[in-house]
Amino acid sequence: PAGAGGPPPRQFVEEAALDFARRHPDVVLYVSPRSGRAPLLVAEYLNGTVREELIASKTSEEIAQLATKLAGQSGLDIIRIRKPFHTDNPSVQGQWHPLTNKPSALTVRGPRLQPQ
Amino acid sequence: RRSEKPNWDYHAEIQAFSHRLHENFSLDLLKTAFINSCYIESEEARRRELGLDKETVALNLQDNSKLAEEGMSFSRSYLTQCFEGAYPDLPAEGLGALVDFLTSQELVSYVAQNLSVQDLTLCKEFPVPPNVLQRTFFAVIGALLDSSGPEKTGIFVRDFFIPQLIGKDLFEIWKVVNPMGLLVEELTKRNISPPEPRITRQLGVSTVLPLYFVGLYCDKKIIAEGPGETLLAAEEEAARVALRKLYGYTENRRPWDYSKPKQGLAAEKAISRN
Repeated sequence: PAGAGGPPPRQFVEEAALDFARRHPDVVLYVSPRSGRAPLLVAEYLNGTVREELIASKTSEEIAQLATKLAGQSGLDIIRIRKPFHTDNPSVQGQWHPLTNKPSALTVRGPRLQPQ
Repeated sequence: RRSEKPNWDYHAEIQAFSHRLHENFSLDLLKTAFINSCYIESEEARRRELGLDKETVALNLQDNSKLAEEGMSFSRSYLTQCFEGAYPDLPAEGLGALVDFLTSQELVSYVAQNLSVQDLTLCKEFPVPPNVLQRTFFAVIGALLDSSGPEKTGIFVRDFFIPQLIGKDLFEIWKVVNPMGLLVEELTKRNISPPEPRITRQLGVSTVLPLYFVGLYCDKKIIAEGPGETLLAAEEEAARVALRKLYGYTENRRPWDYSKPKQGLAAEKAISRN
């Protein structure tokens, strides 16, 4: 909710909010006045996460940039990505285990075969 | 419930929903798709309790059961056709098991929740139980079918259901009780002699954790090899590996082809619906 704070959030609501809403038809923008609290930009994602950002001391363009950034994110938690790659088929010829490439009669001791 | 928290405009949310999915929905069909029968009953009961007249009590709302059936039958037939094209050797039970898994309650409700369908459904209970979510999601698919036609709906179904199969193994989805019997049937269908199991490797026979590798040989050529703790478990695992190789569902198969839409399906659908 954009609050009745200083001029910058008000300017954003007056000028840039309509453009933002037109450029992102898949995001619903609600503007509601709250008195006595700091102006906040609350982003609710599809999987339920809610992110709040203070916009009191930001200019109108910064608020627009922040809004576009939040609109482009998915709702997953912001944690450190351990590795920048991932594969669902880790091995093509079969994963190595300690018995690959060993001859198959390695430890088979039949009851009738005498070791020569 | 999200609809009871501040800042909620149902019409705007529904429009945003259709834009998010890059699909053109007809908004009336979509709104009908989200209405469940328990909502209509609870609303009528509430209005009757508040003492309104009979006319205002009767809501002019249809519920989503027809759309849900359409969506369910379309997605099942579409997925069956996809899998028949991709894995032609898979028998009918396997196909049925895969499609059942993909249209099962947990999976569909997981997909629906992450697409914010839970916030838009109108239902008596909260949090929405998974069978209601499943019905609502299929109703959304039915609404899409009526709005945009079978091709676009097919692409939608493919894009949301088939990635749920990534990383899953065939026999996690399709529980097979006797893999060895199934393997013998498959081999007789292809005129290959029945398999002979032989121990290929063994480790730690007299310890607490023995490991046996049993290989299955047909005409003295190996078809599959599988590990196990006891000899019986290893033989069963080898039979499963052989079945996976025969059906083409191994771990190193080609990934699913999402590139071209299937033109043949649209013609078939048009014929079957007429």
